[in-house]
Amino acid sequence: MNETITRVATDIGGTFTDLVSFEFDPNTGRSRVRTAKVETTPPDYEIGMIDVIRKAGVDLAQIDFLAHGTTVVINVLTERKGVKVGLITTEGFRDTLEIARGNRPDFFNLHYRKPPPFVPRYLRRELPGRMDYHGREMRPLDISPLKRILEEFVDDGVEAVAVCFLHSYANPAHEVAAEAEIRRLCPDLPVVSSHSIVREWREYERSNTTVLSAYVQPVAENYLQRLNDKLTASGFRGSPYVMQSNCGVDSLSATARTPITMVESGPASGIWGAAELGGLIEEPNIIALDIGGTTAKCSLIENGDVRITTDYWIERDRKSAGYPVMVPVVDLVEIGNGGGSIAWVDDYGKLHVGPQSAGALPGPAAYGRGGTDATTTDANLLLGRINSEYFFGGEMEADMEAVNRAVEAVGRKLDLAPMEAARGIVRIANNNMVNALKLVSLNRGFDPRDFTLVAFGGGGGMHAVELAQELGVTKVVVPADAAVFSAWGMTMSDFRRDYIVTHLTDFEPHTADSIEAGFRELEEAAREQFASEGVPRSNLAFKRFGKFRYQNQEHTTEIELGDQRITASRVPAVREGFESAYEREYTYRLDAPVELVGLHLTATAQVGKLSIERRPPSGRDASAAMQATRSVDFATDGIHDTAIYRGSLLEVGMQIGGPAIIEESGSTTVVNPNCSAEVDGFGNIVMSIGI
Amino acid sequence: MTYKTNDPITHEIIQNSLQAAADEMFAAMRKTAMSSIIYEVLDMGTGIMDPSGELASSGAGIPAFIGVLDKSTRVIIEKFEQPGDIEPGDVFATNDPYYGGVTHLNDIVVLMPVFVGEELIAWCGNIAHHSDVGGMAPGSMTGEATVIFQEGLRLPAVKIISRGEPIAPVMEIIKVNSRMPEVLEGDLWAAIASVRIGNRRLVALAEKYGTATFLAAIESFMEYGEKVSLRELSKLPQGEFELSEEQDNGAIYNVKIAISEDRFTVDLRDNPEQMKGPLNTSRDGVMVAAQMLFKSLTSPYSPANGGSFRPIELLTSEGTVFHAQEPTALGYYYELELRVYDLMWRCLAAHMPERLAAGHFASVCGTFIGGIHPDTGRQYTIIEPQLGGWGASLSGDGNTAMFCGFHGETYNCPAEVNEARNGLYVDQMALNTQPGGEGKHHGGRGIILDYRVRSKEGFVTVAYTRSKFPAWGLYGGRDGSPNYIEFIPKRGERKELAEVSGLPTTTDDVIRVFTGIGGGLGDPRERDEQLVRNDVKNGLITAERAREVFGVEC
Repeated sequence: MNETITRVATDIGGTFTDLVSFEFDPNTGRSRVRTAKVETTPPDYEIGMIDVIRKAGVDLAQIDFLAHGTTVVINVLTERKGVKVGLITTEGFRDTLEIARGNRPDFFNLHYRKPPPFVPRYLRRELPGRMDYHGREMRPLDISPLKRILEEFVDDGVEAVAVCFLHSYANPAHEVAAEAEIRRLCPDLPVVSSHSIVREWREYERSNTTVLSAYVQPVAENYLQRLNDKLTASGFRGSPYVMQSNCGVDSLSATARTPITMVESGPASGIWGAAELGGLIEEPNIIALDIGGTTAKCSLIENGDVRITTDYWIERDRKSAGYPVMVPVVDLVEIGNGGGSIAWVDDYGKLHVGPQSAGALPGPAAYGRGGTDATTTDANLLLGRINSEYFFGGEMEADMEAVNRAVEAVGRKLDLAPMEAARGIVRIANNNMVNALKLVSLNRGFDPRDFTLVAFGGGGGMHAVELAQELGVTKVVVPADAAVFSAWGMTMSDFRRDYIVTHLTDFEPHTADSIEAGFRELEEAAREQFASEGVPRSNLAFKRFGKFRYQNQEHTTEIELGDQRITASRVPAVREGFESAYEREYTYRLDAPVELVGLHLTATAQVGKLSIERRPPSGRDASAAMQATRSVDFATDGIHDTAIYRGSLLEVGMQIGGPAIIEESGSTTVVNPNCSAEVDGFGNIVMSIGI
Repeated sequence: MTYKTNDPITHEIIQNSLQAAADEMFAAMRKTAMSSIIYEVLDMGTGIMDPSGELASSGAGIPAFIGVLDKSTRVIIEKFEQPGDIEPGDVFATNDPYYGGVTHLNDIVVLMPVFVGEELIAWCGNIAHHSDVGGMAPGSMTGEATVIFQEGLRLPAVKIISRGEPIAPVMEIIKVNSRMPEVLEGDLWAAIASVRIGNRRLVALAEKYGTATFLAAIESFMEYGEKVSLRELSKLPQGEFELSEEQDNGAIYNVKIAISEDRFTVDLRDNPEQMKGPLNTSRDGVMVAAQMLFKSLTSPYSPANGGSFRPIELLTSEGTVFHAQEPTALGYYYELELRVYDLMWRCLAAHMPERLAAGHFASVCGTFIGGIHPDTGRQYTIIEPQLGGWGASLSGDGNTAMFCGFHGETYNCPAEVNEARNGLYVDQMALNTQPGGEGKHHGGRGIILDYRVRSKEGFVTVAYTRSKFPAWGLYGGRDGSPNYIEFIPKRGERKELAEVSGLPTTTDDVIRVFTGIGGGLGDPRERDEQLVRNDVKNGLITAERAREVFGVEC
């Protein structure tokens, strides 16, 4: 009998579909990791998924746990490829979706265009009936108009219905009733109510989230169904889990009901990977940095915990208000700064990098596909940091003539020699990323020197050391297989759901019982939900968090409460926990009452997680992996003759002194002078940073 | 590793970091403030000034607060001129427009000098609207005030923290003067935390690159700002432009704008004497309005700093509404700032249509509602600006339901939060579909918002402008609709109001806010038929008006 446990994750990205597979034999303690990469196959993404499984040589019938990550939801949103949605809401509030919050981030621009609502006014309809903020019914719901409304919706080609009523976070009864009636009247029309996605206040954010969920639901459900059918037909015996934005996976059926929770699953899996890696190498405090082709994303992990918030917006930047999606999403900062970010000089001689990207087409000048703009990748090539002879692991020839032309053009506008311009591009790109890293660390009162930087994605290892030096970070880890790290993170994820509800109360000993009751209610709901997915009650682990603030404030600070009961005697200690966290972030405390605004419960169930073995040093010297020496320009660290190592030849325990460069097929790691690198027992490159 | 090089890339990195620091100061204030007018409305701003007080970088927020902090800083520098007057760790405050406060007494400016060793290298500043700073009326703003003494406690540019230690008596005086002392204290500390965070970042930056490089980077940043402005200014049509416009209160305001290759001169000398009430502004306030419009006309996307505004010349006469003389009241300064902003906009719109749209509802529509929260027994005061319609432009219809030009990254209060926090009901928040703003391109819609009072005893104060003369249309587009409230008492008669102070309210009285539709652009009969049909389908206009005004049968 085959006792090997096989865990597989497939991650469908815009360009590539990645796979990581772990096989673990509990008898021998041996494990084996395989990775593979194929091109993504739109619009039939499931074909690429089967391809990558075959390419890796994994037997579908032997897979015990299959996690799947996809960008389908965010693609449907950004490409506006969803379905026509009708909205049912509270009398007096059908325009909430269009009024939005009235903000104008681009405030000097008198030609600002407000983002239009996803549902036009004639498809936004009202029902009488009202709850108050305590969840008490002020006026009963009248569902009698629904019949006519739905007939009109159907005539107008509506393909999904969203329901969002005022104060449904406090009492969803009216939404439940309306949803049931809609299902009764139109059994084939997909319908989603706000309370099944969000239990927090703010009616615009909740309405928009519900509408966007309905907008993507039929498309995503169809996708998941095809995927499941294809897997089953190809011999897979289980049901795949789907990666979520909260760093966990969820069942296929639950995801199909409210697929909006997948919206930021790609970045979430990488950040989860960093957290899991931190656990493996005993570094609980991590700054995770994922540098891809068009953006860089970073997130802070304190004590092994990723931070989950519901303050997530799509298409929001300095020029647009964007659209809120109030679902649990890993707290991250994303900036338009990746390998393909374009360097440009404005009319007044200032150099900028990003946020525009050369994308995959035409791509950086080096791709030789007609790109004339210099990108960060081109600057790194010119400086010798990326090997023009081993571009994409030798799979692509770098068009160095095009690189020279592009960087020269930037230099001319700045009155700088090409090499100077290339250094400038790298320094500006680094500075953009440093500012983003400060947002997740210093801005929240964390000292980056107390953290380990885990850098992944195609460009992580390229910039990590310089960023660490800027921030005073002394340890940098570039994970093994950094280029498929998101898929790796997915294989390590748990079955997880975040329950976040608005629960406004004074935080005093006499309110402890009602808070405890609130958490219990959530736990019971979680147990029921998981039980219906076949997860036994005993397999569930809970963690509680409270959202606190001083009375009269609006924004809250989230504090972990462990899994113990909330009792009157615990109140002072929890209050102290809030105040010290508040003081760390904002520099002062107040002599004011504290309020609890929301409850946050995470429920996780491990689904056959693996332990990964640490391998012993091979005892061989790194010179075995050395390929050549070449001159490399380290931007601010001078020009040096630099040893070049082939990543695939590195073995556990090998030590490399800077300056050095480690080349792998999908990524390059730059080891600056005064720094050193060592391959740890898991194959990660661990660097000590000299200042 | 040191980077004490003075190259353009280093300058750029320092300049980006200044912006990041100003943004961080802004975020810290927003997250810790106790008043919704700060954390939602974001009636606040942050900035970094050079040692002489010139604006080096400003945080996000609202345009009307960019260009305030430099003026305050200069007053502090003038007043504290002796050696030892300004020391590391000090924090100063002013709220008085006659002492560098620019706006009105509700807005407290907090300024912190930034030192590296003994050398002053910059200032960090923060301005925010405080809910109550004393004075004759709750919320400190009232139409009844005639002198500034009735509008609250005056802080005439004073030190509040000395070498890191709060000056306790001053803090006590500030706190005791407010009707909401805990909130004022919380908000003031949020402001102090914000400038201290900025201070830390700037010190680190200057230590890393060297003070000389840091200062040179700021200087080159301002030169950059000036270069951008001058270049864009030279693209504007040159000449002299003039406009006189009647106001809701019968007064005639006048502006003359002269645009030359390197100067943008705004002449407001020919204007009425200052008013008896609070509808006046300081000269500094008018300058901010001129800076806002100038920035929008020249280079809305580049950073705003002191250099950006150097080409502006402003002429005013002391003792007029646009240059109030102490001790005139100026609590409603913001409506005046908006009036002059809109006046300049209208004066130029016909001459640069690709840059300027038709008029917008152009009033803060400041709505103040107070009472006792029936569930908590606590006093509440709502201070809310309202959303309204923006004007149509050559490129299309005007935006619907946005804050006025004075505000920017400002958020309205969700009904659910309002009901919980303030103990009243919001019965509707809908688009205003009254007639108005018709044109080839339609003005954006304002809103209709019902507050139903639960508290037994309360009050409402409003001071809206553009209630008689709505947003102006362009090129044959129709004017928009007016801003006003309808007061619908449970007992007694309904009345329409645009200006009222301390009107008593009781349970189940409804305050219905109507904000204006923006001005239309072009002849309504030239409007695309499909757009008219969509408007009818969406219930924005009736089939009858589609026929009458747009000539479209639906």
